[in-house]
Amino acid sequence: MTAGMAQKTEGIQQLLIAEKKATERVVDARKRKAQRIKAAKREADSEIQAFKNEKDAQYKAYEAEVLGKKSDNEVQIQQVTNQKVKELEVMLKKNQSIAADAVKGMLFQIEIQLHENVKL
Amino acid sequence: MAGMSDADVQGQIAHMIAFIEQEASEKVEEIECKAEEEFNLEKGRLVATARAKIIEHFDKKIKQVELQKKIQHSNLLNASRLQVLKHKEKLVNNLFESISSDSARISQDDAQKYRKALTDLTLQALCRLLEPRVTVLVRQQDFQLMQSLIPGIQESYVGLTKGKYQVDISIDEQNFLSADLIGGIVMTAQNGKISINNTLDERLKHIGRQMQPQIRGMLFGPNPNRTFND
Repeated sequence: MTAGMAQKTEGIQQLLIAEKKATERVVDARKRKAQRIKAAKREADSEIQAFKNEKDAQYKAYEAEVLGKKSDNEVQIQQVTNQKVKELEVMLKKNQSIAADAVKGMLFQIEIQLHENVKL
Repeated sequence: MAGMSDADVQGQIAHMIAFIEQEASEKVEEIECKAEEEFNLEKGRLVATARAKIIEHFDKKIKQVELQKKIQHSNLLNASRLQVLKHKEKLVNNLFESISSDSARISQDDAQKYRKALTDLTLQALCRLLEPRVTVLVRQQDFQLMQSLIPGIQESYVGLTKGKYQVDISIDEQNFLSADLIGGIVMTAQNGKISINNTLDERLKHIGRQMQPQIRGMLFGPNPNRTFND
């Protein structure tokens, strides 16, 4: 082999090496791209989870508030009921003797009627 | 290669290598750019979809809670109304119990009133039955009183029917009405086949049933919740 020929071979070697390196770099970049896309899901998941927790906490707070109002409501309605019952007692006291007299009157007021089909 | 020196060749090769490297760099940059773009798209899409679902989920839950709240409120109001109505009923029943014992006292203490009641109750029953022969059941304590009233009753009956009807009244001497009753009679005819309960107790029960709404009105005033009053 002449010196010239040895140089050519070397040159080609260098080119081949550079080519190989270049290809490796591109392949590597593609691998990293795939990983980046996988990472998208992971990051999305953690953002979603954070959002879910926030909404959940909001909801729980709302639920607790409603529950509180519910028992207040119950108490209030019961108070109104008790008031109405008390009023009944007052009205009864006021009106019971009138009503009782009316009933006793009806009781002893006996209407005597001949049967409607009787022909005299 | 004639005409090219070694240095020239090396130079050309170095140039080509640089070119290869340059191309590779550009390609890598392109890939990285694309990667970032797709990353953002994918992540954005996933997050947006999930967020919408989560919001919808909690909106539904909130609607449920609201509905439950309304139902519960309505149930509480109904229970309250029922409670008041039940109390009214209790008060009316109590009132009737005291009317019952008051009336029993009248039967016992107001002789004239009771005599008239017994007479009228008997006549009323006779006029409904129009039977020629009847039996009358009374409380044991009313037996003698009833005996004394029968002739007068028979006469009144003839008068009321303008002479067309007369009746034979006998008092049951084996069976008596309970002494706890307010008073009155039970009349039977045709060997017990027909029977009229004309006791004051039965009358009171009847009045209670018939006059419930009016008595409630007398005691508690008109009911604002009522739509129909026939």
